[in-house]
Amino acid sequence: MSVKTFTSEILTSSDTNTYLANSGLVYVTSATIGSAVSSVTVSSAFSATYDAYRVVVVGGTGSVTTGVAVGMAGGPATGYYYGLVYATYASTVVSANVNTNNGANWQFVGGITAGQASSFVFDIYNPFLSLYTTIHNGSYAGGATAGTGNGYLAAATSFTGFVIAPQSGTLTGGTITVYGYRKA
Amino acid sequence: MTRPNIQIDDEVREMTEAEYEALLATGWTLEGTDETPTAG
Repeated sequence: MSVKTFTSEILTSSDTNTYLANSGLVYVTSATIGSAVSSVTVSSAFSATYDAYRVVVVGGTGSVTTGVAVGMAGGPATGYYYGLVYATYASTVVSANVNTNNGANWQFVGGITAGQASSFVFDIYNPFLSLYTTIHNGSYAGGATAGTGNGYLAAATSFTGFVIAPQSGTLTGGTITVYGYRKA
Repeated sequence: MTRPNIQIDDEVREMTEAEYEALLATGWTLEGTDETPTAG
């Protein structure tokens, strides 16, 4: 909808409901992470309603300090490509690193620190369309390093869900929330 | 050794032996390894 310019002091319920329903980022679904899980599958996140999604993971703790991998639910065993650029907190040196090269998922999309509340976000594009799915703005933050990454899955396949998995150890608690970017 | 849990939507259960073997084949360990990102 076009942006409306209000010219009076009256904000009607109709206008309010319209703008609430047409916010830029729209809640789709969420999942509460269980206890000591090695992976979490959110199976009904993607549909034809949106082409772009933001996934926010917040509040969980890891049993070890590690990266967090992301893949598509029911996705192929290979075909994931992802480049992470990271730096250490203790140095000004930036290290470029291609972490996933035709791998089984995208590695180091997020990071968790043992025993501490952790959070990370990433964007997924075109998962439901029969096109290559791309991932952007991965936000890895580990115990000693941090960086951001982008990549794609070389499979022109439609997916409805995704999987989050610590690369070592397990996750406990926290919430995974999926938002869709409103098209128009 | 107890196998880790796996979660699919709201269901949390212990991994099957086959699922656990597949997880180990990816290089996953319970104790963790060097967290420094390395080339895949």
